[in-house]
Amino acid sequence: MISLLHTMSIRKQIQISEANIPKAAIGLLIFILTFGLFIVGYDQGQLFSLVQGEQAYNDLWVHEFSHDMRHAAGFPCH
Amino acid sequence: MNSLSFLVVTVLSGTIAGTILGLINLVLVEPYLDRAIGIEVQNSIDAGEEVNPVEHFNYRFWQKGGEIVAGTILGMSFGALLGIVFVFGRKLIPGSNIKKALVLSGVIWLVIFMIPAIKYPANPPTVGDPDTINYRQYLFISFILISGLTALGLSLIYTKMKAKSSLKFLTITIIYTIIMINAFILVPPNPDEITAPTDLVNGFRIMSMLTMTVFWIVLGITFGLIWDKLKPHETTQFKTV
Repeated sequence: MISLLHTMSIRKQIQISEANIPKAAIGLLIFILTFGLFIVGYDQGQLFSLVQGEQAYNDLWVHEFSHDMRHAAGFPCH
Repeated sequence: MNSLSFLVVTVLSGTIAGTILGLINLVLVEPYLDRAIGIEVQNSIDAGEEVNPVEHFNYRFWQKGGEIVAGTILGMSFGALLGIVFVFGRKLIPGSNIKKALVLSGVIWLVIFMIPAIKYPANPPTVGDPDTINYRQYLFISFILISGLTALGLSLIYTKMKAKSSLKFLTITIIYTIIMINAFILVPPNPDEITAPTDLVNGFRIMSMLTMTVFWIVLGITFGLIWDKLKPHETTQFKTV
């Protein structure tokens, strides 16, 4: 017991700063960046066309749903 | 660096700032959008189309809800961009993490929002011609890429240069300005003619610029605050001494 306490007393918690770049996290953030910008700023039916087919280009659901923000954020719109 | 904490900082700060943007836009930008859409509806009625007022109201209500959701998504996207830039650029800027995040947020605001907005200002509905949407998107993306990649390249040069910080900053600022002036001249303008009332267009542009600027300030502050709280760059180790 005394030995255990002694061991604990000489273990110190230290904070270290790591300079390494989290590559997987950066990759995920690049995906979030491009996918989010595509949805809000550029989709003209492409996303829903994956399930809806050609009809998606007429309905423009994503475009219409993000319509107001698309204008307000300065993206080109119809 | 702790990847999970880093992701939480970026996504959470972006979500908060983006949701606030959507809510602010409901108050400040929507009146202009409603007025512009009112003109479009009147034009449709004048052209002999039938417009159901109840359906139109419900549709606009749905779009206004979409503005908040789209704000959250846009906030997450720009938060992700700030996170990437922060990881690589935080050591170049002295001071607290809030100051670093605010400075980098300001740089991104300038490079991918403000400079492109001067070339291609935001427009309310009634201004854009549906037939030119692809061309306008192409111009807009091109200009943002020119500005963004120029800034990225110059920031890499900044880190390699061996000179005083002030001199390095002045040099890359001058080079960036020269490149962007050339881009302003060479990249074609928006092809659409503006027929909407001038006060509507100008008022909309001012409000758009105002709310987007507030967004980038809120994003920078929120990012810095959450970074300080979670400290993704620090990891705890137990060491026997």
